[in-house]
Amino acid sequence: MTERLRALALADWFGLLLVVLVAGTALAFMQPAFLSTYNIYVLLLSFSLWVLVALAQMVIIAIGQMNLSVGAIGGLVAITFAGTMQVWGLPIPLAIVFGLLLGALCGLFNGVITHVSGISAFIITLATLSIFKGINIGITEAQPFYHIPDAVKAFGAARVGGVPYMLVVPVVAIVGVWLLFNRMVLGRQILAVGANRHAAELSGIRVGRVVVIAHMLSAVLAASAGMLAVARLQLGQPTIGDDWLILSFAAPVIGGAILAGGHVSVIGTCLGVVIVTLINNALVLLGIDPFFVQLLLGALILAAVILNRWRERRREAFA
Amino acid sequence: MTRQGDTGGRGALGAELRSILASNQFGLALLITGLIAVFATVNPGFASPFNLFSLTRVMGIDMVIGFSMMVVLVTGGLNLAVGSIGVAAAMLGGYAMQVQGVPILPAMAIALAFGGFLGWINGQLTVRIGVHSFIVTLATMSIFFGAMIVLTRAEAFNALPREFVDLGRLRYFGFVSGMLPLALLVGIGLWVFFNRTSLGREIVAAGANIRAAELSGIRIARTVVVAHALSGALAALAGLMLAARNGAALPSMAGHIGMGWLLPAFLAPVLGGTLLTGGVISVLGTALGAAMVTIITNGLLQLQVGEFWVQMFLGLVLLAAVLLDRLRGVMAERRRQVR
Repeated sequence: MTERLRALALADWFGLLLVVLVAGTALAFMQPAFLSTYNIYVLLLSFSLWVLVALAQMVIIAIGQMNLSVGAIGGLVAITFAGTMQVWGLPIPLAIVFGLLLGALCGLFNGVITHVSGISAFIITLATLSIFKGINIGITEAQPFYHIPDAVKAFGAARVGGVPYMLVVPVVAIVGVWLLFNRMVLGRQILAVGANRHAAELSGIRVGRVVVIAHMLSAVLAASAGMLAVARLQLGQPTIGDDWLILSFAAPVIGGAILAGGHVSVIGTCLGVVIVTLINNALVLLGIDPFFVQLLLGALILAAVILNRWRERRREAFA
Repeated sequence: MTRQGDTGGRGALGAELRSILASNQFGLALLITGLIAVFATVNPGFASPFNLFSLTRVMGIDMVIGFSMMVVLVTGGLNLAVGSIGVAAAMLGGYAMQVQGVPILPAMAIALAFGGFLGWINGQLTVRIGVHSFIVTLATMSIFFGAMIVLTRAEAFNALPREFVDLGRLRYFGFVSGMLPLALLVGIGLWVFFNRTSLGREIVAAGANIRAAELSGIRIARTVVVAHALSGALAALAGLMLAARNGAALPSMAGHIGMGWLLPAFLAPVLGGTLLTGGVISVLGTALGAAMVTIITNGLLQLQVGEFWVQMFLGLVLLAAVLLDRLRGVMAERRRQVR
């Protein structure tokens, strides 16, 4: 039992859990409205969307790369989802499948080009960011699709008490990604490629396949986030995804992910999203300038990077 | 211009000529000439003094944005915060001029120094934390932009002094904006810095091979910090130029957290042959790269392709450029192996 407790306390995310609990308690004391059903609903709504965005980036961080196009894929899928329903009259399930396929295609594109060319994913996804966003703007001419089916709008607004229906999607995604990294061969292979590409290759892992799959998974997660955003906003807004970049890196890095690859934490990333959500909520509840969010997010990334680096050095010192 | 690493050394005229013809810059110059010819034939409005003036104005700004990224790329790092720094510095300059009544030259000096200072912070953080500048500048782009928005309440400075706004209207020969010669002067300065000064050469050498540079006594940390500070000052200059063009310092002029500058900032140096891995720098290439981007954008807009498709097109150009560059590298490698 004590063994288990100690292992728990040493986990990446244990400190984060403490931070979340302390911050939550403090907020509840300072502002009773924090625990109101409606506020919890608002919190969970933000969490639902952001956790998908964070996981989309985390999967790519795991292979030691980065994906700048997460937001652009989310935005492109969002307007396609809304557009196919409004303009083509596609039934909702088909539109969802179409959106996921489009996402997977974007990821395939990123993955194949990155792997075949051997150019850093940074510059490739910067280019595809502009391409995907450019297609989005070209199709919509920066105008939203307003007329999405009522069922989608209803899903976006539905809740049981403080729990929004949409929470189902991120919960499935979290469990899936957790299983992938903790119970499946593919997940191990992704981490192995991230930790040491050459060693992974030598041990018989087909690196190209792993890289492409990781990019596709990332894009599908981004696509789901884009479609959830449509349901939540009740319209197909072309600007969906524009402000995901900082957040997508903040949460995994706060969660202890090492940017060089090979080490990520699903629970840590989720707690990272919770922390960001709480900060955002606190600023609103305490009537602080909401513009501070941007500043705080950046400061959090820096603090997390410094902390992770310090931990890494300590680990090296002990080893 | 300075291709440290792949110059064969042999001074034979034929080889020299061949290397010029095969260089990025020559290809770019050809492409630009071709593009101008096509656009001017298809649309007479392209060559009108009015269009050339606005074209050269944007070109000058894009060149300085490209330089700002280039000086960090050469160290093997990058600076995602160029847009944030540019806007933050321009806003400070606007505040000094409009609210504090500082004369324009000192106000611009303050803005440039502030940009340099923000870049210096990036450099210090990168060196001290010991992580890639990607994550450091990702964080600072958010911090700088956030702080700027909090301090300015997201309001523009749109009553700038006349002399400052007039800088944006400066015009030579009836069709060349003053922004272009300014950018070219900056380019010449950078060329001299990286080719003729020991500090500049040290930066290039450190970017090419850290270990070798360290062994030969170069202080790596210093080269990184200087490159970032220089990048910040150049971003500030681009911000001031943009403010002069707009006639106002706007918080939104580089898009959300300054991301609007990222594409031009990377396009110009990458098209011009500056390597992302560091150690290779081409000032002329960056200037030509920026010129090409501006001409493509302007030409497409003139052709009524619709402003909405321009971004996708530029993304494709970037993708094509890096893939072509890679392909050329692979081919060169193969040829070497065959021999």
